[in-house]
Amino acid sequence: MDLDRLRQDAAAVLSDGRAKMVIGFRDRDGDRVPAFITDAEQAAELVFDETCLVNLAAYLKKIELKRFRPVALVARPHVCRSLVLLAAEAQIAAEDVIILAVGDQEYHGVMDLAGAAALLNEQYAEMPHEADLAKRLEEISGLTPEERSRFWTEQFAKCTRCYACRAACPMCYCTRCIVEKNVPQWISTAAARHGNYAWNVIRAFHLAGRCTECGACEAACPQGIPLMLLNASLARDVEDEFGVKAGYDAEAEPVIGSWSADDNEDFIR
Amino acid sequence: MTQTEANTTDSAETFEPRIVAFVCNWCTYAGADLAGTSRIEYPANVRIIKLPCTGRIDPLFILKAFEGGADAVLVSGCHPGDCHYTSGNYHARRRWTLFRNLLDLTGIDSRRLLFSWVSAAEGQKFADLIDDITGKVREAGPFGPTNPARRQPWT
Amino acid sequence: MKLLDATKINDLAAALARAGYRVVAPIEDSGVVRLTEWTEGATIRTDVIGVNSAKDFLFPRSEVIGRWDLDGDDFSPRDVQPDAQKTVILAVRPCDAAALALLDTIFNWDYKDDFYNARRQAATIVPMACTAADEQCFCTSVGGAPDATANADAMLRSADGGATFILEPLTDKGNALLDAAGDAAREGEAAADPPAEVPQRFDVEAVTEWLSENFESDLWTTLSLGCLGCGACAYACPTCHCFDMQDEATRTESVRLKNWDSCGFGLFTLHAGGHNPRPDQTARWRNRVMHKFAYIPERFELLGCTGCGRCARLCGAGMSMSEVCRRIADESKKALAHES
Repeated sequence: MDLDRLRQDAAAVLSDGRAKMVIGFRDRDGDRVPAFITDAEQAAELVFDETCLVNLAAYLKKIELKRFRPVALVARPHVCRSLVLLAAEAQIAAEDVIILAVGDQEYHGVMDLAGAAALLNEQYAEMPHEADLAKRLEEISGLTPEERSRFWTEQFAKCTRCYACRAACPMCYCTRCIVEKNVPQWISTAAARHGNYAWNVIRAFHLAGRCTECGACEAACPQGIPLMLLNASLARDVEDEFGVKAGYDAEAEPVIGSWSADDNEDFIR
Repeated sequence: MTQTEANTTDSAETFEPRIVAFVCNWCTYAGADLAGTSRIEYPANVRIIKLPCTGRIDPLFILKAFEGGADAVLVSGCHPGDCHYTSGNYHARRRWTLFRNLLDLTGIDSRRLLFSWVSAAEGQKFADLIDDITGKVREAGPFGPTNPARRQPWT
Repeated sequence: MKLLDATKINDLAAALARAGYRVVAPIEDSGVVRLTEWTEGATIRTDVIGVNSAKDFLFPRSEVIGRWDLDGDDFSPRDVQPDAQKTVILAVRPCDAAALALLDTIFNWDYKDDFYNARRQAATIVPMACTAADEQCFCTSVGGAPDATANADAMLRSADGGATFILEPLTDKGNALLDAAGDAAREGEAAADPPAEVPQRFDVEAVTEWLSENFESDLWTTLSLGCLGCGACAYACPTCHCFDMQDEATRTESVRLKNWDSCGFGLFTLHAGGHNPRPDQTARWRNRVMHKFAYIPERFELLGCTGCGRCARLCGAGMSMSEVCRRIADESKKALAHES
């Protein structure tokens, strides 16, 4: 990957004023952590590799970063999808972001949101699940309902309700999350079976049709809960049932907010 | 906030399923009413909760029912095209497709979560449906032990 | 002195369990090391720091502290006894044990917390001195050490390059533990392996100095940019102790719960009227750092951080208390250089 070109472009967008801040990754003691760069000279410290799993689009939620718009983001394909989807959901305007698009193997250059959407549709229209995730999904579907119940009860028992999954997700931008509503308190805030089930299932459901499968939630979970099993399964269903993949079309209608007369109803008696 | 507690007995002979039905006011509720006024009997295992429209049914309602100990949940409304609010049931239908798959993945399968269209004229259909579901849930047994959403006794 | 083979630590756990202790130890499961209840066959890891701290067993994530039976409009309280099960927290890191000084103080400050105290009194703390550390450890920058014995009832130390553990009782509870261990520990002599090298990461006095004068500094925004406002750090932290009360009721029963809270959540200081005195992550991070390095030291003469580094290891967004302190200390030194 041409990191030098990435760094030069990052420096350039800052120097010529196209962006007030570049959000990317830097190295800290061997780990890749988010970097927030406002001076062109700092661009030299930008790095990128496959361990850069934080979805930087999540930072667009922060009030403190609003004054740094337009902001340039080092965005891998899944993150580009998040940005396109945020525009489709009217959370950002096209002129708010500049994208330094990194692919699986190469750096694609500087582009605007429309350019990123075009890149996605041309080169990243298929983003198959990684082998391990596909295998685990396969395994789960082979279990009986009781076995699945036991599996998830064990997994959710690890959940401490830290909401790192929510914080890491760019699409979880509600200023008052469902779990924070207490008139009434729909989801128990205790780390008990019912609350943990409801939280994880409802979060996955609130992302139905909106999850770009970036994996940031699972990477952020301090307990190692396999959240992508839920999200990837739901995203696959959305594609199978409604032919939609989130984040490829900035004009797309929300999946759950729309309907078709031909929607499947073979399960309805 | 108070909630319904289900005290399902778990002996095989005496297990009486607790079924919660979220139904729309204009169709299914009226259909259930028609069953009643027509003196068509159906099992008393069902607890009917009336909403204005299936479009109002938040998946959280379904989870709340399982949390409180329901052995099965039925969600029922107007046939497509008949919705009193024009398109509420279309929105609901799409939601249900995805939500039922998510619940199935996590251990709440289609024996426990059911959906139907029952119109205001379908009193017999409603009664037959409840009869059938009650029988099948009685066979499937109490959900408590394997219900991943069930509130557990506080320790 | 009492020794045991490193490979026989499960035998020690088993002996303690037979003697009536609930045994809590760092257990590896699916690649994650978590301090949790030990069961026969579990893999105990004494060589790494787990994702959670000893705090979990003294001040749990969710705890019932009140119960009522409900019957229509009538209600009657039920007796709620704090959990006082005899517990040994085995092979925790010394930084976890050090944190108990603050938890003991906070939970007995303006109110004596029976729930914490019952668990605390029933717990025997057995830290394992660290012979390895990573980049995120900074105990030595906050007055701690990889082999510190603060709040330890007994101390485990590695010897013979890790092949043997020394088990040294330090208090009456420690002696009772050794009695209970029985044959799981043998008499012998061994020299403890040298403790880990944990270089000083920052000058904590420079941090405290800067904090006393820079509440309004722009640096707070710069320092907190990475934070996305979850509770992972506060939950993993052995000294964080904030909690939220929540009532949950059904038609027949009501419980009052004490749940962990995090000052990083947006909701933490949200007023019922809609105003939030800490409206963004800048203000929330400032509060976090000020609490640990200014307010708590001011009030209790203790630091609110023991340098375990879990916050940095777990943070999905790359925040690190050590890095923040380093940058504040640098800023403080720059300011001093300016003045002189």
